[in-house]
Amino acid sequence: MKSKNSGKDFCMFALPGMFCFFAVVIIPFVYGVYLTLTDWNGVSKVKNFIGFKNFAGVMRDGQFWTSLLLTFKYVIFVVLIVNVLAFAIAYLLTRGIKGQNFFRAGFFTPNLIGGIVLGYIWQFVFSRVFVSIGESTGWKMFEVSWLSDPTNAFIALVVVSVWQLSGYMILIYVAGFMGLSEDVMEAASIDGASGFVKLKSIIMPLMMSSITICLFLTLSRAFMVYDVNLSLTAGAPYGTTEMAAMHVYEKAFTSRQFGVGQAEAFILFIIVAVISGLQVYFTKKQEVEA
Amino acid sequence: MRKRVMKKVISLGLVLAFMSAMLTGCRFGFASDPDDPNEEEKEVPIDTSVDTFEYDSSLSGTNITLLNSKAEIQVALEKMGAEYEKKSGVHVEVMPVTDGDSPYTKVVSLYNSGTPPTASILDTTDVIALAEEKAADLSDEPWTEEAEGYLTEVNGKIYSFPLCIEGRGIIYNKPVIEEALGESFNPDDITTQDEFKELLDRLVEAGIEKPVSMAKEDWSLGAHQLQYIYETYEGTSEGAQEVIEKIKAGKLDLATYDRLTEFLNMFDILKKYNVAKGDPLGADYDEMAIDLADGKTAFWFNGNWAWPNISEAGAEEEDEYGFLPYFLNNDKNDFANQQIQASPSKQIMLDGQIASEKEQAAAKEFLNWIVYSEIGQQMLVKTCNIIPPFQNNPYEPSDPLSADIYKKVHEEKAFNASAIVPNDHWAVLGASMQKYLADRSDREELTGDIQKYWDEQE
Repeated sequence: MKSKNSGKDFCMFALPGMFCFFAVVIIPFVYGVYLTLTDWNGVSKVKNFIGFKNFAGVMRDGQFWTSLLLTFKYVIFVVLIVNVLAFAIAYLLTRGIKGQNFFRAGFFTPNLIGGIVLGYIWQFVFSRVFVSIGESTGWKMFEVSWLSDPTNAFIALVVVSVWQLSGYMILIYVAGFMGLSEDVMEAASIDGASGFVKLKSIIMPLMMSSITICLFLTLSRAFMVYDVNLSLTAGAPYGTTEMAAMHVYEKAFTSRQFGVGQAEAFILFIIVAVISGLQVYFTKKQEVEA
Repeated sequence: MRKRVMKKVISLGLVLAFMSAMLTGCRFGFASDPDDPNEEEKEVPIDTSVDTFEYDSSLSGTNITLLNSKAEIQVALEKMGAEYEKKSGVHVEVMPVTDGDSPYTKVVSLYNSGTPPTASILDTTDVIALAEEKAADLSDEPWTEEAEGYLTEVNGKIYSFPLCIEGRGIIYNKPVIEEALGESFNPDDITTQDEFKELLDRLVEAGIEKPVSMAKEDWSLGAHQLQYIYETYEGTSEGAQEVIEKIKAGKLDLATYDRLTEFLNMFDILKKYNVAKGDPLGADYDEMAIDLADGKTAFWFNGNWAWPNISEAGAEEEDEYGFLPYFLNNDKNDFANQQIQASPSKQIMLDGQIASEKEQAAAKEFLNWIVYSEIGQQMLVKTCNIIPPFQNNPYEPSDPLSADIYKKVHEEKAFNASAIVPNDHWAVLGASMQKYLADRSDREELTGDIQKYWDEQE
């Protein structure tokens, strides 16, 4: 009796979701892995099985490894800056300062703008607005467009990503801070905990669940960055700011090496999955109950 | 109360966000897509009173789709389709390739989903990649006779309809040069690299400090500039193919290949007089059009597709703009110094795999209608503002850049050569060219990059 019932429940509640999940995630994923073992070019009718040749192609593709290294650099900067900044701002915005709701909405706004549009806005800012500021003030820093120098273009990417992502993380941290129990904080104060000790021993452990989510979100988003990369720099100057996801796309569709691109995408997936899996595992361990 | 304030704040934020998004969409635009679809085009009158084209009435009621990858003629094509439908009863739906999609990716994804367009406007390289697998054979179509010299063959068969001729070179603004020098300027007087350089020096003396604009975009540097080294080998597409094969096979040493050296000499001249010399990779495409129209510069390396930008920057159709060749050396008899490059660029390919016979017949009739009917001929030139590759088309394009190319093609002052290179050529070598443009690499490194690129091709 019981098993029959749960079968019906499963069909009613889980099946539609499962179906969608399989249709748009699992099946394409498995099919994609299969494609890495063939020489399919995206058009032809026949797919020849060629074993691991595509992975050998990935090994030979030096540009992929360069872009992967750059992506790591980018991820480190973005994850650190976004989380520290968002944590600090969220802390300030939950202390009851004047107009804090306005600020919360303000910081969140960049997140509502799509990455492509955001990239074009900032492209204009970096290559036109900053340059004309530089022209009229003579400030060395803005003399030439940031986007024409490899280092500055990278900084520009980080700045824009931080600006876009922070708002979302602030929201999550704000929710976390609001959930902190007043009793615990008060007890800590009575026990004589100073501001820093309170932050380190009381707030941080209690905020760990928010930190887990935020770290996971920023990590996976930063690794998979494509839209801002495409619209802000498109890899310019001379391909030095091409991140891994963009390289994969270019490999598959511009160079038309479908199999190699697919294999690179698979490698990127494994790296992101392992790193964010480890992150979630370790930060989960730190979580405590109040 | 607090809730209401919050709501107001959020809605204000939203409005601001949308406003900034709208502003960017309309005002600044994209460098590679100069054509604002919102802009109101002035209507060119089409005379529809005469039409001797014979329509196949059995095709009436057929629906065909046309994938358009030439964004600036989207509206014009829709008008053409509507006009054709009025006459033939065949409905033509024009689908644009959206921003961010490449035409090839789009058409391939449509094929993979089983709904390919009946006809697609593609680049020549795409046609070659798809032809034998997907396209309908067009070798026996009547229009092939009118487009002699502009047809692309794949293993002896024709799979595509040449839609337009596009040409490139050094665009000049005649009144600006004349005003600066205080004398009349005849572009035909400039016949060699040295004479061009002398002209530049005189312009500098006359107060135009940096008379040249050069796009930093990889498609301009990697495709339009660098490909001169293949296309000027002989001035034919076959010659371009031959030299590419030689480079691939290692039979041609790039370090001593004279066309590469000559090309870089010219590139260095343009680089020296570049208006954005201080920050060549920060150059802005739209600003170049403005500079040229305003007379801050006198030259811009580009093609006739740049007209919408120049026109938007304030130029009128009566203004005198035209092309100088990309001077390679000081030999007056070298064709490269006398002629500009002009070849068919966009091609229409018909689906031969999924489309029904009736649909294919309707699409074929549509192509013939463009070539042979009085209305189609007019609309191709006047509505789409295209330089027609068909000899029987009596109409001339009206904007000065297209008109100049039209004139040069008919006076045999243009060479028809287009190099068929792998699809990532412009992106990969465009990056190398950017590096060279920014003085972050030298000739040796650039030459090495080109050789390495070809070595990696199978």
